[in-house]
Amino acid sequence: MSLRVGDELPEVLTPAIDRLRIAYMAVSMRDPNLVHVEDSYAAKSGLPSVIAHGTFVTSYAGAAVSRAVGVDAVRRIRVDVTAPVFPGDVLRTQAVVTGADPAADGQLLTIDVTVTNQDGVRVGRGTATVEQPAA
Amino acid sequence: MARQVGHRFPAREFTVDPVRVEEYVMALGVEPEPEYRAEFGAVVPPGFFMYVTTYGAGPVHDMLDFDMFRTVYGGSEIEYRQPVRVGDRLSVTPEISGVSEKDGKSGHLTFVELTTEYAREDGTVVIVERSNTVQRS
Repeated sequence: MSLRVGDELPEVLTPAIDRLRIAYMAVSMRDPNLVHVEDSYAAKSGLPSVIAHGTFVTSYAGAAVSRAVGVDAVRRIRVDVTAPVFPGDVLRTQAVVTGADPAADGQLLTIDVTVTNQDGVRVGRGTATVEQPAA
Repeated sequence: MARQVGHRFPAREFTVDPVRVEEYVMALGVEPEPEYRAEFGAVVPPGFFMYVTTYGAGPVHDMLDFDMFRTVYGGSEIEYRQPVRVGDRLSVTPEISGVSEKDGKSGHLTFVELTTEYAREDGTVVIVERSNTVQRS
């Protein structure tokens, strides 16, 4: 597969990030922060309910890139979490190639990724640099 | 808090455990990369190193005097310099690489950047991760 500027990568559409999924993430990360588990703790931070881990956002953005180009092609990725994710949200990624620079043996592509929820609110934004070998 | 910038924590060992990687894939609930397998020698999904606490949050939070209820994860940047495989044993060295403060709409905010280096036994750095955490006060 050869990518060019303007190409869109296949989207990652997530399952509903429900409370069980958030709780599972908390346990598997060994994250003791109750803001992900108990509404009363989330309220102390001024939140209407528990929130999902930012890790969901960074991971889905990363997966959108690595699923399309292959794990070993990814040189660098940066993802910023821009809005909270709440129980029941469904996220989708949009990734597009925005740059192509010559490199030693092929090209270094720049890929911009955004992650949005079901209401179109952007919850994450990222940029990846991936290696594309010469065809 | 700015005085802690440049503080480097002592190295710890971390093994890319296949069980942890599989737990990560299950937590996301989406189809993993086609080349991923839950076995030694397989590729590691890139997001794994944004997810797994390889060092232990305790010493880092203590050093920064973080109150869990007022901190949020702001995002990460990772450089993959060399391939990493399931089963690899890496040494992990976090460093407090930046602290900045700002008065925002929701109060006083402190941004902390932590840069974590992962190295092989021979000292080759394979991954550099920078994560951002925000504390509101």
